[in-house]
Amino acid sequence: MHAIRSVAVNVFKESVRDRVPYNLVLFAVLLISSSYLLGQLTAGQDVKIVKDLGLSATAVFGLFIAVFIGIGLVSKEVERRSIYPLLAKPVSRPQFIAGKYAGLVLTLAVNVAVMTIALYVVLGYMSWMEPAAVRASWDAPGPDPRLLKAIALIFLELMLVTAIALFFSTFSGPLLSAALTLGLYIVGQFNADLKNFDRVVNSKTAIWLARGAYHVLPDLSAFDVKTQVVHGLPVSSGYMLATTGYAAVYIAALLLGAVAIFSRRDFK
Amino acid sequence: MTATARHAALVAAACAALGAAVALQLARDRWYPRSDIQAAEILYVRSPAAMQRLALDHDSLLADVYWIRAVQYYGGNRLAPQLRKHHYELLYPMLDITTSLDPHFNIAYRFGAIFLSEEYPGGPGRSDQAIALLRKGLAARPDKWQYYLDAGFVNYFHLHDYRAAADWFSRGARLPNAPNWMPPLAAATLAKGNDRASSRFLWRQLLDSDQAWLRNAATRALQQLDALDQMDRLEEIVRRYPPPMGQPHSWIGLIRRGVLAGLPVDPTRTPYDIDPETGRVALSPSSSLNPMPFDTARQAR
Amino acid sequence: MPPVIRIDELTKDYKVGFWRSRPYRALDRLSLEIAEGEVFGFLGPNGAGKTTTLKLLMQLIFPTRGGAEILGRPLGDVQARQRIGFLPENPSFYDYLTAEELLNYFGQLFGYAPAERGRRVAALLDRVGIGAERRLQLRKFSKGMIQRVGIAQALLNDPEVIFLDEPMSGLDPLGRRDVRNLILELRDQGRTVFFSSHILADAEALCSRVAVVANGRLAAAGRLSEILAFQVRGWDLVMDTIRPDVLERVRPVVRRATEISAGRYSLEVPLEQPPDRLLAELVAEGATLVSLTPIRDTLEDFFVRRVAEAGAGARAEEAARARD
Ligand SMILES: Nc1ncnc2c1ncn2[C@@H]1O[C@H](COP(=O)(O)OP(=O)(O)O)[C@@H](O)[C@H]1O
Ligand SMILES: [Mg+2]
Repeated sequence: MHAIRSVAVNVFKESVRDRVPYNLVLFAVLLISSSYLLGQLTAGQDVKIVKDLGLSATAVFGLFIAVFIGIGLVSKEVERRSIYPLLAKPVSRPQFIAGKYAGLVLTLAVNVAVMTIALYVVLGYMSWMEPAAVRASWDAPGPDPRLLKAIALIFLELMLVTAIALFFSTFSGPLLSAALTLGLYIVGQFNADLKNFDRVVNSKTAIWLARGAYHVLPDLSAFDVKTQVVHGLPVSSGYMLATTGYAAVYIAALLLGAVAIFSRRDFK
Repeated sequence: MTATARHAALVAAACAALGAAVALQLARDRWYPRSDIQAAEILYVRSPAAMQRLALDHDSLLADVYWIRAVQYYGGNRLAPQLRKHHYELLYPMLDITTSLDPHFNIAYRFGAIFLSEEYPGGPGRSDQAIALLRKGLAARPDKWQYYLDAGFVNYFHLHDYRAAADWFSRGARLPNAPNWMPPLAAATLAKGNDRASSRFLWRQLLDSDQAWLRNAATRALQQLDALDQMDRLEEIVRRYPPPMGQPHSWIGLIRRGVLAGLPVDPTRTPYDIDPETGRVALSPSSSLNPMPFDTARQAR
Repeated sequence: MPPVIRIDELTKDYKVGFWRSRPYRALDRLSLEIAEGEVFGFLGPNGAGKTTTLKLLMQLIFPTRGGAEILGRPLGDVQARQRIGFLPENPSFYDYLTAEELLNYFGQLFGYAPAERGRRVAALLDRVGIGAERRLQLRKFSKGMIQRVGIAQALLNDPEVIFLDEPMSGLDPLGRRDVRNLILELRDQGRTVFFSSHILADAEALCSRVAVVANGRLAAAGRLSEILAFQVRGWDLVMDTIRPDVLERVRPVVRRATEISAGRYSLEVPLEQPPDRLLAELVAEGATLVSLTPIRDTLEDFFVRRVAEAGAGARAEEAARARD
C-alpha cells in the first residue's frame, strides 16, 4: 500500500513541478473572472453565463491535464529509463500502475477543487451584488449547491479519460497515446449519436456495428449534465449513481487491461 | 499462480469489467432515457445541429455566445441612427441557434419573442417568428406558463387576434404551476376582446415582472392607456362646450370660459393637441408616448 | 552454502526488424553461480549481453528460456527486492527531483519511516560524496554525479546483494577510485557484489572471480589468475630526457621505441627481459622515469581468441550431432 501511495505522491509532485497545472488553474481563474465582464454585456444572464463558462472551463482544463499528463505517466518513465531503478525496488508492476493512476487523479482532484472554489467565489460575489428582485428572476440561485453534481460528473469523466490515457500509455509512445486518447474522447462525446443510427441509415450491419460501438466505447456524453444543472433542472440521484457505477467499472476494465499489458512488457 | 495464469486472469477480469460497464449503460438508458428533444435535434440537418456538433459538450457555453450576439445585434440595430436602415434579418436565426444549442435557455425565448414582435423600426415586427420561437420553447419546457402568456401577448398587442390570445392564456392557465390571475385574464380577453380594461389588466401583471426592461414597457403602456382615456374625456368636454360660432376649437378658449383649469397634459406632462376645425384631440407629436398603440374604440370614430 | 545468485540456462531473444521481425539471440544459455560475499566481475566487450543479463535478473525484461534465483527466491519475487540493490547502466532519474528527494522517494518504497529515511539518505549521500548539491534538482547534475546518486540509491536498503551495471562508466579517475573503495568496503561487510564491466583493470583490482561473456555466450569463468590468457605480455616503459646515443644503445633490447615528444619515448619491453635492469641503465644515463605499466591482452584480444575457439567448438558440436 505504501508503495502505491509513494508512487502517487511522486506523480503529484511531478505535475506540480512541471508548473502546467499552475498555468491551467490560473487560466481557469482568469476565464471565470473575465466571464463576469462578459456577463455585463448581456441582459441579466450573467449568472447563467458564469456558470456555463466555469463548468466548461473546469472540464476543458481538466481534460488537458488528464490527457497531457496521463499519456506521459508510463511512457515517459520507460523512455527516460527512470523505471529501471524503480522496478528494482519492492514495487510490483500492478502497484506501479495503480500508483500512477492515483497520483494523477489526486492532481485532478486538487485542480478541480481549485476551479470549483473559484467558481463559487465569483458566483457568491455576483449573487451578493444583485438586488433580491433580480436574484428572483434566475432559474437557479447563484452559488447553487446543485452545481456540485455537474462538477462531480465532470470529475468522473476526467477519471475515465485519465484511465484511457494511462491504458494507451502502457504500450505506446506519448504522441500515439495522445492521438488515441483524444480520438476516443471525441468519439465518446458523439457516442449517443451511434445509438440512434437506425434513424439515419438502413443497413442492418451498419446499425449493429454502431450499436456495438455505442456500448463498448466509453459513453462520455452521459457525464454532461451542465445544461440541466445551470437551469436548476433536477438531476436524479439514481442517474448520478448509475453513471458513477458506469465510470467505476469502465475505469476498472481499463486499469486491469493496462496492468495485463504492462506486466508482460519488456523494457528495451 | 504462474505468470501466464495470472495474465489470463487479468485479461478475464478486464473483459468482465467491460461487460459490467455495458450492462450498466443499458440499464441506465432504460431507467433514465435521454430526452427525445435532444435526440431529435441531433438528427436535424440544419445549421444549429452542425453548431451543436462543433460545440462538443460545450453547447451551453456556445449558446451563451450566440445569445450575447443576438442581444448585441438587436440593441445595435434598434439604436442605429435614423439615417441607417434598421435591419433585423439575422435576429431569428441567432435566437434559433441559441435555443437549439441550449433548449432550456429561458430568457432567450421570452426576450427573443418580445424583440421579434416589436413593430418596425423598434424591431422586425415578426410576430410569426416570435410565436414560432415560443412554440419551440414549449416543446423543450412544456411546464413554462410564461411562454403561453408571452404568446398571448404577441397575439393580443401585435396581431390583434383576441381569440387566439385568449386561447393561449387559457392553455397556460391550465398548467398546475400557473398563477391564479391567469384564468380571469383568459376570460376577460375572450369576453371583451380589445378593451382598455383588459389591456390594463394584462399590463398590470407585468408591472411586477422580474425584468426591469419589461416593467418599463408596462409603465409606458399603462400611461398610453391613460392617455387614451384622457383624450376620450377631453373630446367629450369639447363636444359639450363648443366654441362660439365662427371661432376655432382651442384650449385657450375653454380655459377663458372656465371649463378647463389649465392646459390639459398627457401622463408625460406634454400638452395635448386639438384640431381647430373638428375639435379632435390628439397626442402632441413631441410626446414621448408616441407611437400610440392601435385602439379600436378611437379608430372607429 | 547455497549460492546467492544462481543463473540457469538464461536465454533471451530480442525481436529485431520492423516488418518481419526475427529473433536475435542476445544471451544464450548462460549459467552461473555466485557465492555469498563474492565480488564477481561480469566482463565482456560492448554488446556481449551483460546489460541483457542484468535486466533479466531485475525482471525488466523476461527470459525466452531458463531462469534464475536470487537469495533463494525465483525472479519476480517482489519481497526479495527488499534485500537487493541495483544500479542500471547509465542511470537516469526524475530530473525534477533533488538528490535528497529521489532517495527519499525510494526510501518510501522500501517502507522506511521518515526519521529512518532521513538518516539513511544523509549517510549515503555523504558516503558517495554528494555534498551541498543534494538540494539541487537532478537536471543540474553532471554525468558523474548522477552515477554517484545511482550508486547511493542502489545501497539505500543496505542490500545483501548488489548488482552494478558498468559502475565506473562516466566517472573521472578520482570517481573510479571512490567506487573501487566502496566495492571493497561492501566486500568487507560481507555483501555480495555482481558488477559488469568492459574494462579489465576494474576487475583486476576488485574481483575474487570473473565470468567473461562474448556474443551472448559464456566464454570463461573462474579466478582471473586462472584465466591464463590474461597474463602479462611485456612492459610499457615511458622515460623522459633520453639522449639519442643512449636510445640507439638500448634499441636492440626493446621490441619497439616510439617517440612521444622530444626526448620522451615509450619503450615496449618484451616479457623475457625484466624491465628493472633497463630502467637502472637509463636512469644512470640521466633519463627520468615517467611510468611503467604491464602490457597484456585486452578483453577484446581475449574475446577474439575465445570466440574463435567457442565458434569452432560449436561447429564441432553441430558436426557431432549431424553425425548421430
Ligand atoms: N532492445 C533490444 N532489441 C534488440 N537487440 C538488443 C536490444 N538490447 C540489446 N540488444 C542487442 O543485444 C546484444 C547485447 O546487448 P547488451 O546486453 O546491451 O550488451 P552489453 O551490456 O554487454 O554491452 C547487443 O548485440 C545488442 O545490440
Ligand atoms: Mg551494457
